[in-house]
Amino acid sequence: MIKHFGVVGAGTMGAGIALAAARSGLDVILYDVNDTVLRQALERIKADVKQGVARGKIPADQVSPIVARIHPRTNLSDFHACELVVEAVIEDLRVKKDLFRHLETHTKTSAVLATNTSSLSVTAITSVLRRQERAIGLHFFNPAHIMKLVEVVRTQATSESTIAFARSFVHHIGKSPVLVRDTPGFIVNRVARPFYGEALRLLGEQVATHEQIDRILKQGAGFAMGPFELMDLIGIDVNFAVTQSMYDQFFGEPRYRPHPIQKQMVDAGRLGKKTGAGFYTYNDTTK
Amino acid sequence: MAPSASKTSIAREKAIVYITGESPLVEEYAALGSAHGYDVVVQWNEDRKRDKEYRRSAIVPAGTSIALELTNTDLERKKRNLQKLDKALPPTAAIISSSVTVSASEQATWIIHRHRLAGCCALPSFSAGTVIEVAPTVYTPVETMEVVRRFFTSLGKHCEFVEDRVGMVLPRVVCQIINEACFALQEGVSTPAELDTAMKLGVNYPRGPIEWAEAIGIRQVEAVLRALERDLGEDRYRVAPLLHQMALTGEWWNRNPREGS
Repeated sequence: MIKHFGVVGAGTMGAGIALAAARSGLDVILYDVNDTVLRQALERIKADVKQGVARGKIPADQVSPIVARIHPRTNLSDFHACELVVEAVIEDLRVKKDLFRHLETHTKTSAVLATNTSSLSVTAITSVLRRQERAIGLHFFNPAHIMKLVEVVRTQATSESTIAFARSFVHHIGKSPVLVRDTPGFIVNRVARPFYGEALRLLGEQVATHEQIDRILKQGAGFAMGPFELMDLIGIDVNFAVTQSMYDQFFGEPRYRPHPIQKQMVDAGRLGKKTGAGFYTYNDTTK
Repeated sequence: MAPSASKTSIAREKAIVYITGESPLVEEYAALGSAHGYDVVVQWNEDRKRDKEYRRSAIVPAGTSIALELTNTDLERKKRNLQKLDKALPPTAAIISSSVTVSASEQATWIIHRHRLAGCCALPSFSAGTVIEVAPTVYTPVETMEVVRRFFTSLGKHCEFVEDRVGMVLPRVVCQIINEACFALQEGVSTPAELDTAMKLGVNYPRGPIEWAEAIGIRQVEAVLRALERDLGEDRYRVAPLLHQMALTGEWWNRNPREGS
C-alpha cells in the first residue's frame, strides 16, 4: 500500500486531508507556497487533534506522533517519492492547471495525481497532464478529518488501476469511497440542489415561511438541519455561487436555476451566520 | 355556491374515523388512529383480502365524525371517494384529504359541502414524523381547521398550516431530490447504492434518495412530480425517464441494449 503521501495547499481542506492521512499512520508531505500558511495549518491540526482527544476519538498518547507525521514543505520537489498527491488549492481552473503541470514534473511517473475540486471539471484540470490515466478526483467533505465520504471522480482517461488505487487509499484512511463519473457537482453537490432550490421556491411562492420549511423538513422527514439554517451556515453567497456554477455547467438546465431570493440576500449583505444575519439573525451567543 | 359555515366537530370518546384510499397510506393512518384510541374503519381502493387488523366497510359507518381520504395516484378514484364521503357523512363531519397531488381547493370543487374539506400531507413512510402539513382550501372556515388541528394533535402531531399547493413542502423537496438522483443514475454518474451512501455520509441525509424512493413507493413519487409538472408548468419538474420506467417495471436497471440477449 501507499507509503508516501502528499497534499498541496495548507488551507482548511488541505490541512484536514493531511490530518486524516496522518491519523491512519501515513507520513504526509504538506506543501504550500506560503510558510506562514503552513505554520497556521499545523497549529490548526494540533488544535483539531486535541479536540479529537477531548471527544475520546484519539488516544492522548497519539497527539505528538500524529502531528510529527505531517511534514511541512515549501518545495514541490519534496513530492518526488510520493505515490499519491492530492491538490487542495484555490478553486481556480488556471491555478490548478498550472499546479498540475508542475506536479507532473516533480513526481515519479507512477504517481497518482488527484484534485480535491468540488466545483470544477476534473477532466479540465487534469487535461494538462501527459499521463492522464494516473489522474483522478478525490473530493473530501469539510471537515475532511471527520467526514467519512470521499467522492472518487473518474475522467474518461482515468485507468482502472488508478481507480482501484484511489479507492484502497480512501479505505486505508478510514473513509468510504463512492465512484463517480466526472460530471458537474458529482453526486452530493448535484443531488442536494433541490433541497435548497425547492425550499427557496416554496418561500418565494409563499407556500410556507422559512421557519416552517425548516421545521417540516427536520421534524417531518428527519433532516438534521433545515435548508435555510444550512444556507445560513454554509454562507448564502457560497451556496448561490455553487448553484450558479451548476446552472452554467449544465447550460441553463432549469432544475439548477438559482432563485432571485439568493441574489437579493447577497446584495443585502445578509450572507448568513458569518455576517450575523441571513434568513435568521444571530448574535454572538446563539447558533 | 356559497360555503355554509356549518360546525364540524369530533367527539373524542369512541370517535369513529373512516379511512379510504390506497395502500400503504391507509394502513399507516389506521395504525396511528388505533394507537391513539380511535375506532378505525377502513376501505382500500385496491382489491385485497380482508384485513384482520382493521374493520373494513364499503359503507361509511353511521356516527363517523371524521374521514380521511388518502389517494394520491388515481385522481378519478379520489374524486369518487370524496363524493361518496360527502354524500354519506353528516354535514358536521370533516373530511381531511391528502392534497399532495391535487390541491385541496380543487378537491373541494368536486363535492357539495365544501366547507368540510381540508388538505393534508400524506405520503407513505412520513406518518412517523412529528409534524404534519395541513392546508385550508379557499372554502374552509377556521372551525374546520380547528377540528383538523385537534385531530392531528390527538395523534401526537404538530400541525404546520401551509398554503394549498400541490406537492406541499416535504413531498416537493424530497421527490425532487429523488428525481435528481434518478437523472444522475440514468446518466451513469454512479450506482444506486453509492448514491445513497454519498447523500447519507456527505450531507447527513436521514435516508439515501433511492432508499427513500423505495420507502415512499416510486409510483407515489412519480404522482407528486407529475402533479408539480402539471400545476406549475415548469420544465424543472419533468420526470426522469428512469424514474418513470421504475414506476412501471419495479426495476432500477435496464440492460445495456448493446449487450445483446
